[in-house]
Amino acid sequence: MTTISAPPPGSTDRTSEPAPSAGRSRRGARVPARRRGDVGFVLACLLPALVLFAVFMVVPTVNVFRMSLYTWSGFSPDLRFVGLDNFTRLFDDEQFVRAFQNTVALLVVVTVVTMGMGLFLAAIMTRQRLRGRNLYRFVLYIPNVLSVVVIAAIFSAVFDQENGLLNGVLRLLSLDGLQQVWLGDQKLVLWSVAIAMVWQSLGYYMVLYMSSMASIPEELYEASALDGASAGRQFFTITLPLIWQNLRTTLTFFVMSAVNLSFVLVRAMTGGGPDGSSEVLLSYLYKQAYTNSSYGYGMAIGVVIFAFSFLVSLLVSRATRREPVQF
Amino acid sequence: MKESTRSVLVVTARTLVAAGCVAVVVTARTTVGWGRLAIMLAALAGLLAVLASYNRRFR
Repeated sequence: MTTISAPPPGSTDRTSEPAPSAGRSRRGARVPARRRGDVGFVLACLLPALVLFAVFMVVPTVNVFRMSLYTWSGFSPDLRFVGLDNFTRLFDDEQFVRAFQNTVALLVVVTVVTMGMGLFLAAIMTRQRLRGRNLYRFVLYIPNVLSVVVIAAIFSAVFDQENGLLNGVLRLLSLDGLQQVWLGDQKLVLWSVAIAMVWQSLGYYMVLYMSSMASIPEELYEASALDGASAGRQFFTITLPLIWQNLRTTLTFFVMSAVNLSFVLVRAMTGGGPDGSSEVLLSYLYKQAYTNSSYGYGMAIGVVIFAFSFLVSLLVSRATRREPVQF
Repeated sequence: MKESTRSVLVVTARTLVAAGCVAVVVTARTTVGWGRLAIMLAALAGLLAVLASYNRRFR
């Protein structure tokens, strides 16, 4: 990763700037016309993307905010303006609070575990000359290629109470007392979903970190080794600062995936149960908007999700901002 | 206090605070309520504060 910095102030290198007199003398009349043509061409190229962005991103987002102020079943033509009533209802909705708590718990735990394990595995595979590391990388990356619904089916089979892999292994090891109803216990079900989330995303983040680590010059490690730095010190003083921009990006990915990925896994693995104990914000939104015929209320939940994701992403970005390191 | 000792103490403190925040998030989830949710969000803010404090010297 090489970063090119801007030329220092007061630099005398003016080769990239047109000479002030050049436009007026030989090509004075043609330059502005050509620039206008360039601007037109750029606008023409941008227009389709801008239209698509407006139609599929801006309009639906504005519509979510607008519909959160209405009560609507989703099917009938009756649309009644209720102001902020949908938001005040949220305060009395215990199921919404539980879904919010579950989302925050998944956000924190899955991010910490996946990032920690991803960094650890990436550092080992990059720095240690492991035999068969390409095979390990391939095996760890496979879950990311699979559909999330397939992963949900795999983990439903793993966590099955009677014939599941996990309880089967525990029985085999004569640890019958440790057997659990992994997807039926209100205390355990969310962590079972969290395990599936970690398994699904670990390989992806590991490969991302490995690609950054592979671009760090070997000389830096050799020089620090000559100075007596241990592998751990090298990781914290060389590797971590030099892959920081990548870490920042992945932290934002974690926020988004904790909200989005958890919805698919929860829907496919538990349906929000038992008794709503694995409900997350998006699955609760879906349930309210499309199953409970409370579209406006669902959109109010959508506004909360938008605000929460936006705020956390913003704070993460501010907390991790730093000057890019040149090497 | 020696610089190396201070550095070790800071790293240890940050690690403990981060681990504590994760533990608070996990334990506060067991009870449903706005108060518990506020505690969880405060723990999340604590984790971000630890991250910002680590990152501050690189700005």
